[in-house]
Amino acid sequence: MTTRSERRAKTLAERIELPPAKTRVLQHAVRLEWLTIAFLVTAVTAMYLALGSSQAMKAAWIEDLLSFLPPIAFLVTNRVRSKEPTRDHPFGFHRSVSVGYLVAAVALLTMGTYLVAESALGLVSADHVPIGLVTVFGYTFWAGWLMIAALTYTLVPPVLLGRAKLTPARELHDKVLYADADMNKADWQTAAAGIVGVLGIGLGLWWLDFVAAIVIGASIGYDGWKNLRTALSDLMDSRASVFDDRTTVHPAVAGIRDAALAERGVGAVQVRVREEGHVFHAEVFVVPSGAALGLGDLDRIRDAVRGVDWKLHHVVVAPVRELPLGNLPPS
Amino acid sequence: MRPRTFLAVAVAVLVAAPGCAAIPVDPEGTLERASGGVLRVGMSEHEPWTALDDGERSGVEVRLIEEFAAGRDADVEWQDGGEESLIEQLHRGELDVVVGGLTEKTPWVDAAALTRPYVVVTGPDGSPEPHVMAARRGENALLVALERFLLEHEAAVADELDGERP
Repeated sequence: MTTRSERRAKTLAERIELPPAKTRVLQHAVRLEWLTIAFLVTAVTAMYLALGSSQAMKAAWIEDLLSFLPPIAFLVTNRVRSKEPTRDHPFGFHRSVSVGYLVAAVALLTMGTYLVAESALGLVSADHVPIGLVTVFGYTFWAGWLMIAALTYTLVPPVLLGRAKLTPARELHDKVLYADADMNKADWQTAAAGIVGVLGIGLGLWWLDFVAAIVIGASIGYDGWKNLRTALSDLMDSRASVFDDRTTVHPAVAGIRDAALAERGVGAVQVRVREEGHVFHAEVFVVPSGAALGLGDLDRIRDAVRGVDWKLHHVVVAPVRELPLGNLPPS
Repeated sequence: MRPRTFLAVAVAVLVAAPGCAAIPVDPEGTLERASGGVLRVGMSEHEPWTALDDGERSGVEVRLIEEFAAGRDADVEWQDGGEESLIEQLHRGELDVVVGGLTEKTPWVDAAALTRPYVVVTGPDGSPEPHVMAARRGENALLVALERFLLEHEAAVADELDGERP
């Protein structure tokens, strides 16, 4: 039996999911996400104040509003995910990451589809968007210039933030952070398309505004679709993949098999690994090579497996008579 | 079309756009056609803004439109009618401007391009009533020209209305 203090130390170690070096990277990522939110507040306000009847500008504004979702999802799940398991939630709260991811993806897909449909309708009905004069600090000029100025402000910072977030996303192997960085990086295209739309109105090319809005809507929808597939694949317990490509198997899967096979007394191994948000849950089935495996041997195998990757949070080692198991395809 | 391709094409179109002299441009060239030609204006009666008496037109907005047209060397072709039918003609492009004591709260906001309010009076229920004119939707050169003209005459209109009050 373990003592109370030993149990406490163990749960604490399990709660802290990251090695110390990674913890610093995480803190950096958290700061970057707060910075993103701060920038978005100024961008959304500036664009709201300049917002006219341009459809492309409206699409770009909605895109910026939706950009709040990934940083918020990241910051919220960052607090929730490492909460200790409770009686009602015996597996802990790691899955909250996938839930946040799913919600953000659905919002993007819905809004993107809506914008494409609304802009296509405007294009078909040949609605000629009016933009008149605006007065700022006593100067009166065409409101389109003010809209272009606001859009220009949102052109560069997201690209810098996106690039800055890529490094921690890679080091933390964090899909939400990566998706966010990826979206930020492409954000200048949204602002540029918005500028093209407003300039189009200025040049009397009324249709260019709707075409630009359709392009923005489609890019929002595509982001949503991409992220929805990843989120659903995680929630469906598909095998663990790398953070930037759903179809590439995470190297830890092969690493676990090799690590277990290298242990004394192990004849054959079968592994299944699923993702629970930021961490992996691994089940390792082992066939003893000779004499039966004792509890001590199983602990030894478990420790060896956990050493493969810091993401291996829950590891269950189960001795079995033969492999492959009936319902499990060979890994 | 990929976003990058779209942007490249769009930028090329904008750069190549002939004579980016004055922005905004009318898609249908209304202001250019009316200048030195005919400005087609729809009017629905609504004193003191517009009035028709034995073929004689008067009212604040009639004077404003005539002065605006004169500044563009244009003759005004008046068309009388109810607000709804005039707005429909405006939307079809059969009229360039519609006047008749319209306010910012007009339900025609999606069918026409409203100017900025050029005067705010107190309505019958004591609430502020910002008055506007309606231009053909999307004809932004015309809209901007009319708004500039109204902006220059804001003070004169306010004085005139004060003088008419008992």
